[in-house]
Amino acid sequence: MKKQLIELRVNGESCELAMESQRTLLEVLREDLGLTGAKEACGTGECGACTVLIDGKPILSCLTLAIEAQGKEITTIEGLAKAGELHPLQKAFIQYGAIQCGYCASGMILNAKSILDENPKPSREEILKGLEGNLCRCTGYNKILDAVMAASIGKD
Amino acid sequence: MEELSFVGKSVPRKDGVEKATGRALYTVDMVLPGMLWGKILRSPYPHARILNIDTSRAERLPGVKAVITEKDTLGIKHGFVETPRYPPDQYPLAMDRVRYIGEEIAAVAAIDEYVAEEALNLIQVDYEELPAVFDPEEAMKPGAPEIHPSHPKVREPYKNIGGKTESGWGNVEKGFAESFLVREDRFDGQLRTHCYMEPQATLASFDFSGKLNVWTSSQGPFIKRAKLATTLGLPFSNVRVLKAYVGGAYGGKIDLFSHEFCASLLSIKARRPVKIVCTREEVFGAARHGQPIFVQLKTGVKKDGTLVAQQVKVINNSGAYRGSGVVVIFLCWGFVMLCYRIPNLKYEGYSVYTNNPVRAPQRGHGAPNLRFAVESQMDMIAEELGIDPVEIRLKNARQKGDILPNEDSVRNCGLVECIERAAKTTQFKEKYGRNKSLAKHRIRKGIGMGVSSYFSGSLIYPNASAAIVKLNDDGTVSLITGALDIGQGAETILCQIVAEELGVSMDDIRVVAADTETTPVDIGAWISGGAYVSGNAVKIAASDARRQLFEVAAQELEANPEDLIAKNREISVKDSPGRSISFTQAVAASIAKRRGNPIIGQGHYRTMKDVPAHPSLATTKGRWSDNYAFDAQVAEVEVDMETGQVKLVKATTAHDCGFPINPLIVEGQIDGQVSMAQGHALWEEVLMKEGQTLTTSFLDYKIPCAKDMVESHYVDVITERYEKDIPYHTKEVGEGYVSGMVAAISNAVYDATGVRVKTLPILPEKILMGLKEKGNKPH
Repeated sequence: MKKQLIELRVNGESCELAMESQRTLLEVLREDLGLTGAKEACGTGECGACTVLIDGKPILSCLTLAIEAQGKEITTIEGLAKAGELHPLQKAFIQYGAIQCGYCASGMILNAKSILDENPKPSREEILKGLEGNLCRCTGYNKILDAVMAASIGKD
Repeated sequence: MEELSFVGKSVPRKDGVEKATGRALYTVDMVLPGMLWGKILRSPYPHARILNIDTSRAERLPGVKAVITEKDTLGIKHGFVETPRYPPDQYPLAMDRVRYIGEEIAAVAAIDEYVAEEALNLIQVDYEELPAVFDPEEAMKPGAPEIHPSHPKVREPYKNIGGKTESGWGNVEKGFAESFLVREDRFDGQLRTHCYMEPQATLASFDFSGKLNVWTSSQGPFIKRAKLATTLGLPFSNVRVLKAYVGGAYGGKIDLFSHEFCASLLSIKARRPVKIVCTREEVFGAARHGQPIFVQLKTGVKKDGTLVAQQVKVINNSGAYRGSGVVVIFLCWGFVMLCYRIPNLKYEGYSVYTNNPVRAPQRGHGAPNLRFAVESQMDMIAEELGIDPVEIRLKNARQKGDILPNEDSVRNCGLVECIERAAKTTQFKEKYGRNKSLAKHRIRKGIGMGVSSYFSGSLIYPNASAAIVKLNDDGTVSLITGALDIGQGAETILCQIVAEELGVSMDDIRVVAADTETTPVDIGAWISGGAYVSGNAVKIAASDARRQLFEVAAQELEANPEDLIAKNREISVKDSPGRSISFTQAVAASIAKRRGNPIIGQGHYRTMKDVPAHPSLATTKGRWSDNYAFDAQVAEVEVDMETGQVKLVKATTAHDCGFPINPLIVEGQIDGQVSMAQGHALWEEVLMKEGQTLTTSFLDYKIPCAKDMVESHYVDVITERYEKDIPYHTKEVGEGYVSGMVAAISNAVYDATGVRVKTLPILPEKILMGLKEKGNKPH
């Protein structure tokens, strides 16, 4: 298949890539840009492990073609810490024991960020509803909820 | 007792930052220069003879670098169990026959996944279909298709018996005759699966010196090395299995899987790195799921509820090869006899071959289905006798110091306290049976209890753990351990122990882990012995380093080594304020003044150190474990009487895990198990039709999501201690707490509805059917 030149903005930086148009954003992030924080667990949009933010909104990068993301601001987990300082959600996930195997963590944290960006003080139910598309088999979600609650009220 | 600074504290995970920033590299993330992609050709038939495999067209496809079939192998079998009685029974690539849909026949390495996939389509396999059998009870019948010959020592008119466990004591017939009440019921567990988020994945790289380097998503590198080396015909030391982060396992990534063998052999053949990542569909359709068992359970009790006799028959559908089937039928015996004192017991377990995919342990390895049976029946008996569920459990509970029939001591058993405190904290007695006095509500509440017990490490290869603690002259410490952190927090708790023993901070410790070349042997994250066996090895290594360090520091401080203490990165003389040197100075002094001696502490530990081997899987004779964990769990549910929907509202776990090395991690383990129990009890089931897996995605196989989160409460019953210079006896916390909760949920549903569901999962339609049978009169 013929390759086409596309431009992506990822974590504040622009990059130009020649690629076949059928490639997913997840493939391009992981294979071409070396951003392996976004994970594939199902490849069919059921688990949320591949969640990244496009213009601040969570999307499933395994179901999104890379060409669709042109001209938009893509944020991956690698772009969340600023100048070596972890994002409050990253800190809270560590401190509250919200991470076990960690495979779902990048998608979970990014989705939680979008929840808090939209509503800085969500209720427990709003958080759980917001995260229902991100599967985690280790934690039972209890500590994840604790972490997001703590980050939402600015508790370290 | 000396106050502890790190052990017993909820310190954050050592690998938290790596994982929270996306920097942690899992096997799926690993890439090597020149890497090829591997794909596997799988059998479309549940049972067939392979007449011919023609790979020539695939080999000619541009971009294909290697194709392998059984012809490229040494024809060496492997198995989860490899003992004289139960020799290995599975080839890594099918030899002349396939026995389940998904069985591996050939593999291809190509420049990318698309070419590899296309090459699979070009492999021509000629089959002759054979009659197949899927249900274990059908497979046991004399006329059933023979998948493997029955085990030679099982002399019964049964077919397809992969293994049998028989055990017992006392005289059950006499016991039943003397019983006031005898009940017999059958309980069926379902086929459930792990749903680790990281799919099975392996990267293998064979170099020109003859060394095979392997990164694989696993539960411990040493068993992988042993089985890869054996099946590939390589010396152990030519296979190096290295650490990668692991995206969940829960029992599903223990022994050798074909994709690991295939990636390795393809790399040997192509002389290039080869990576195989299974798709989720392959994981559901061909990888190993948990062990589905059914339990025939006959129990006799006195009028006051005291157990007199129990007769248990367990049949396991092991799939097409033994897998862990002969282990689960051994373990089910244990899960029967641990919790309650049973004077007369007769146990028999059968592991039966069927034309289904192979099975593996899954968190609890038989215990959830077994305890579901025993605890459900316990409540049924209590109700018949008019005793409440708490009292009948207390009456029969295992007590501190009991010696088990296999001669294990349960040492410090906190089961009675677990039951009492679980009941008290949930107001169990006040809540139980409350529906009986209520008017007809659409939403009914129920409460139920389940108890379970789990062993903490046993003897199975590699049996023991060792560790090295190396002190560096900048004051940091290197912990070199074979333990693999699969999310359970192994590296974190091991560092807590090092920090405690050496008086350094968590940040001072660097971990080198899970590398068969550079790290000493480790028991693995799959026998519930990590905290106990690896933990004690690390404790011994750290205290060995401390002893050496104190010798140097004693010279520097002109003191006796016995008078020194290490704390806050300082070594000081007890009760002599001001007489101290820093940890860094002491290490540097050793290197400077003792001809470069860097101080390296070593430790090793083995559970049941004088016991030569694991207990007999066939007869259960022999010691099993040093420590047993106990728990009593309470489920509180709400049932919608019109739809049959069950909501697990609150889960309480009162548990004796010895002592929690890291309470936050222990809570996380409990939460995860409660969640797994919720799915197991209420929804999860891998559906199969004639060997074909029907549930091949997370849409088909529903695991709990965030909205299903259960309020989880913990009650710690502390029965053991951590002290300097003696081994500790903490217990397992990673898999025993699925079982009590599955049982508790089932009992709570009964309390709410009056419907006793004996077949898992407890789907709404089963509750509605039960209500209908009762004429819609719940209680």
